[in-house]
Amino acid sequence: MGLDYKLVLWNKHKKTYDKIIALGMVLYLVLFIALTLAFNPETIAETMIIRAFGSLAVIMLHIILVIGPLSRLNPQFLPILYNRRHLGVSMFLAALIHGVFAIIHFHTLGNVNSIYAVFTSNMDYGSLTNFPFQVLGFLALLILFFMASTSHDFFLKNLSPNVWKGLHMLVYVAYALILLHVFLGAFQQETSVFTIGILVLGFIVISSLHLVAAFKESKVDGFKGEKDTGGWLKVCDVHEIPEDRAKIFSVGKKRVAIFKYDGKLSAIHNVCKHQGGPLGEGKIVDGCVTCPWHGYQYLPHNGQSPPPFTEKVATYELRLDNDMIYINPIGLEEGTEVEPILC
Amino acid sequence: MEKKDEFYIGYVDAVGKETKSSIKRFVLFALGLLLIGSILFGFFQKEANNSVFDFDTPTKISGTYYEAPYPMLRVELAKNTFKDVLLLGFGKFGANAYLDEIKRHKGNINGKHLTIEGNLIYYNGKTLLQIDDSQKISLDKSKKKNFVLPESMGNHEVVGEIVDPKCYFGVMKPGYGKIHRSCAALCISGGIPPVLAVSDNNSISEYFLLTDLKGNPIHKDIVPYIGLPSKLKGKVEKLEDWYTMRIDVSKIEKLDKESSIY
Repeated sequence: MGLDYKLVLWNKHKKTYDKIIALGMVLYLVLFIALTLAFNPETIAETMIIRAFGSLAVIMLHIILVIGPLSRLNPQFLPILYNRRHLGVSMFLAALIHGVFAIIHFHTLGNVNSIYAVFTSNMDYGSLTNFPFQVLGFLALLILFFMASTSHDFFLKNLSPNVWKGLHMLVYVAYALILLHVFLGAFQQETSVFTIGILVLGFIVISSLHLVAAFKESKVDGFKGEKDTGGWLKVCDVHEIPEDRAKIFSVGKKRVAIFKYDGKLSAIHNVCKHQGGPLGEGKIVDGCVTCPWHGYQYLPHNGQSPPPFTEKVATYELRLDNDMIYINPIGLEEGTEVEPILC
Repeated sequence: MEKKDEFYIGYVDAVGKETKSSIKRFVLFALGLLLIGSILFGFFQKEANNSVFDFDTPTKISGTYYEAPYPMLRVELAKNTFKDVLLLGFGKFGANAYLDEIKRHKGNINGKHLTIEGNLIYYNGKTLLQIDDSQKISLDKSKKKNFVLPESMGNHEVVGEIVDPKCYFGVMKPGYGKIHRSCAALCISGGIPPVLAVSDNNSISEYFLLTDLKGNPIHKDIVPYIGLPSKLKGKVEKLEDWYTMRIDVSKIEKLDKESSIY
């Protein structure tokens, strides 16, 4: 959490994370170049650069895309999510080097503008196998550029978390465009079953992980509690919630997290104001609900971030009847104080 | 013993034991994936050919200039042994802009002896020369030579891929196929002659400089057929070490198959 904007709020974990990213990228490039020089010595530097950075970016994108569902399925992978934006920006830089070199190599020094040439030098838009695959890569790079350039809390705050999240969900459009770019481009000419196979396998793994994670989430959304005569929703037995943790329920169209701490119960809206992280998967730390994604904090009894921070989430009233928790499904204004119930 | 409820907070230094072990597992998986990816993408590449582009070593060559169908310099390698060196411009352009400059000052240079300094491109018995400055072309004092008529080889139907010879014979690797198609289209529409590259089952290749039915250069009209396996029919003629083929562009047949020159 921060009050002012800095380029990067460095800490020990971010530094280690970035060192591992750099090590992985360097390892990939050195090995790729060494293998190319050993087994394909007649190749030229431009081709080697385009291929090395392009394939590196594709593999990095696969790693990025498994982090989300993996950490939904197992919170122990959350540290990988914590600094995912650095991985994303690094992947964009690899893709940018690939794209810029490819445009310089194939589309500059001609009789038309090089960007115009990307779109017009092959006009077989009606054919699948002859489709101008460069256009797909260009559009993907554009999406990645917007994502990378807004990968900062300044833009998250100023664009609003919803717009920001929407923009960053375009990574799936970029992934689809990149797969098509590779399959309709390089794989039309470089037809090794191994390279094609690794991307097919990657697609299967990414799709499966997302489906399994979505299935897990759907269980929460499928919750249909009984309502009592006052319209309060019966949710669960108090003993089902571990100490300093929460259970998430779908109340109306919203997800609500009910926290148990210090012999008390409080309910707040499940969505973190920072990046939409699931607060109910967080923990009470130093008396505050702490978001599992980036550690944003809220006081459980009023949904307010502790001063000097200003984020607020909606709160809900609870009632306890014979160890059974009931919730008033009508949420209160963000930051409204609600007396915790004793349990 | 009750299991410790670990919770990771990015800005807190301490990390639980199990979380640490999960991070290690993920890092090893990611590095392993990068390693495997690198091996697969690095190793399984189609081998580039041994074509050469002497981009950093200028070479001076002298010979008789012939303008049609495309600018060439006929170089005498030994007594009565000649080589036709195809002339090209800088970037994705033909040589005409540079040659027009000298024509403006010296008049018709067809059949005259020129010395040109440029960058050689060569592969599979064919030589090309990139000119990047009209100042590097000089007209030598010698008699104009008569154009030697090309030898007629009859009508032929061949299957191959239309490429731009500058990239195909050395500037790019690969300089053919789907990946290179856009570049070839820019090169040919910029004045570089279109060449049909043909390769048989024994990997013996032949190259045809393509012209229209009247023997005139073709450029933009042929762009839709570049970089695709195609069948072409036409009258073939033999120059010193190049074939030319007169074709009707509208009769080029695109083939739905993998190119034989890959």
